[in-house]
Amino acid sequence: MIEFKNVSFSYSNDGSANGGGCLKNIDLKINKGEAVVLSGESGCGKTTITRLINGLIPYYYEGTLTGDIIINGKNSRDMSLYDISKNTGSVFQNPRSQFFNVDTDSELAFSCENQGMPVEEIKRRIKETVELFGIQRLMHRSIFDMSGGEKQIIACAAVSVADPDIIVLDEPSSNLDMRATAELKKCIRIWKSQKKTIIIAEHRLRYLSDIADRVFYIREGRIENSFTFDELREKSFEELKSLGLRPVTDDQFKKAGNAVSESQNGLTLKNFAFAYKRSAPVLKIEECSIPFGQITAVIGNNGAGKSTFSRCLCGLVKKCKGIAEYNDNTLKRRDRLKKSFMVMQDVNNQLFTESVLDEVMISMEEEKNDKAIEILRSLDLEELSDRHPASLSGGQKQRCAIACAIASNKEIMIFDEPTSGLDLRHMYEVADNIRFVNSDDRCIIVVSHDLELILSCCTYVVRLEKGEVIEHYPLDSNGIGRLVDFFEEPFRSSSKDVS
Amino acid sequence: MTDDIMPGAVHDRKGVVLDPRTKLLLLLMISVFSWSSIGGRAGWIILPVITLIPVILLYFSRKWKGAVISTLLFLAVNLISYTDLNKLSGGVYYIILMIVGIFGRLMPCIIMAYYLVYTTTVSEFVAAMEKMHVSEKITIPFSVIFRFFPTVREQMHFIKDAMDMRGIKIGGKHSSKYIEYRLIPLMICSVKTGDELSAASLTRCLGGSVRRTNICKIGFGFPDYVIILILIASVAASVIVRLV
Repeated sequence: MIEFKNVSFSYSNDGSANGGGCLKNIDLKINKGEAVVLSGESGCGKTTITRLINGLIPYYYEGTLTGDIIINGKNSRDMSLYDISKNTGSVFQNPRSQFFNVDTDSELAFSCENQGMPVEEIKRRIKETVELFGIQRLMHRSIFDMSGGEKQIIACAAVSVADPDIIVLDEPSSNLDMRATAELKKCIRIWKSQKKTIIIAEHRLRYLSDIADRVFYIREGRIENSFTFDELREKSFEELKSLGLRPVTDDQFKKAGNAVSESQNGLTLKNFAFAYKRSAPVLKIEECSIPFGQITAVIGNNGAGKSTFSRCLCGLVKKCKGIAEYNDNTLKRRDRLKKSFMVMQDVNNQLFTESVLDEVMISMEEEKNDKAIEILRSLDLEELSDRHPASLSGGQKQRCAIACAIASNKEIMIFDEPTSGLDLRHMYEVADNIRFVNSDDRCIIVVSHDLELILSCCTYVVRLEKGEVIEHYPLDSNGIGRLVDFFEEPFRSSSKDVS
Repeated sequence: MTDDIMPGAVHDRKGVVLDPRTKLLLLLMISVFSWSSIGGRAGWIILPVITLIPVILLYFSRKWKGAVISTLLFLAVNLISYTDLNKLSGGVYYIILMIVGIFGRLMPCIIMAYYLVYTTTVSEFVAAMEKMHVSEKITIPFSVIFRFFPTVREQMHFIKDAMDMRGIKIGGKHSSKYIEYRLIPLMICSVKTGDELSAASLTRCLGGSVRRTNICKIGFGFPDYVIILILIASVAASVIVRLV
């Protein structure tokens, strides 16, 4: 059992309860075997709660802590981080940075090795876990060759090998597609059946709706509300939205959506093909049309060729000989490189300079100060123009990248997974940014597995599978049904597997 | 379920597998022979011979790309240093001599370090250090290197894409700042990754006072003995040459 008694925390050392992630007078009781979800905006403090449970606060992240946290009858102040870790497993948001090892076998053994367990015992546990999770295919592999979803499953399996009573997950699904999320759900279901206490900080609620017992909504460091999933299912889309929560059921999803407008012009892609040496083609599109003046969502599971598609479209892949046509213009690879801009999933990789203004300036053909300021103003970034890009928040960084795209006069704009790990309000902020750049002479493409984002800004859908376009349709009421069905499918098959 | 899924990390890998201690010894010896004059008059033959070891081993580990590149580098440096450069005019002669002089010494170490990093897993390395009774305080930070290079390589790829899209390239606009623009995002991401990685490791019980165990078994085999013999022979040769 976990009990928070009047817990307050602030990341600053002077005790002032300001800034993101601080907590104010939290009282919370989580029973053994219970699965609870912590939801709320980024910076509301839900990650802080997970860190208090797994001991990273106060032992790794410093700050001012008052109140007591009682874990299985012991005060966490009387335990070392090592003692807490023995009984608490953690899965983090970023699959890239949570592994100490480079191969899966060693990673599964890592926690037990650190606890000094006998080698035979560790091997027995690994064997058991591998069978239970059905991950034989992932063994003996380099972690660098795995997809994000596979990495996250290995992270879950590594927790299971150590067999803790408490498992803490910090936004585990934020980098995953639907199929991988369904796999993650299976892991959580296994833990639930083993009577583990599970705490999940998460924005996406739907995949947890039939596993978790309660949802706590946290706002500015306080627990504002708590619901059972049955209560949430009763609510309408608007009620959930006003509570700041993402939808839970299909029907609530179908209430979202946009007005669809007709468009005449289109960008026609021809012969988009790409294959790695001596392997099956990753992308083979003979012809495909993407409308101008609309926001097109490109969907498909991991490995469907979405990222290769966007890299080819931007002209980043030299071997892809395809051409794009619009209004009698033919765009070859080099032309596309000049005409297109991709806002990357990790925006940090595309901001190089010392200030937001410089960032916009280097993107321009002719560097004009007043024009740059004007663009920044239109995106609400004017007062940040002297700031270092690295010091901005995630949404601001993204807007900064968008400003560069506008400054460089690009006509094709691609957003690659722009909302992975964002809460509802920030997701809407991104949707607003995307709608802002949409105009009749631009072609906007959103590569995403965030159903809510697609519903809140896109008007056209292209679905890829195995490198081919298998369907494309406007997102009218009919289209919304098709889209929601596609996103629901993996969960239906996974629930069959379990029962 | 056969023994096949049992961890051990080593047996399933193809090719010649060396004990990490042999690799470390080889790295040490190559560095010593290339940067000091310890080889004496025999140095000109000892260095190419021991440099050839990691080059050949790369083929056995099926790291084809690295193997071919290092073979070419090896041949280039050695061929140039054995050709008669005196025919060249003064300036060019000194420049080539300088490049060969510096690069010829660096190249063997780079090839060996590449071989070490890309064919050793973290747990093999940690196991080897434990066998040599090196403190965890030294082992753990060093073991992160094995993760660091592949992570950086992934990151570099994204940054290059971003620069292509903005038209920043060598010879294009802002080429004077090319290196700065490439390194800044890399550093910011490295710091963040390092921070998250430390936090994740701590929640996996790293840093407890208990003695670690290791499921990874390492040990010397036939190839290790061959290499160690070659190294002993090299040292012996350089000593004998001095005495004679």
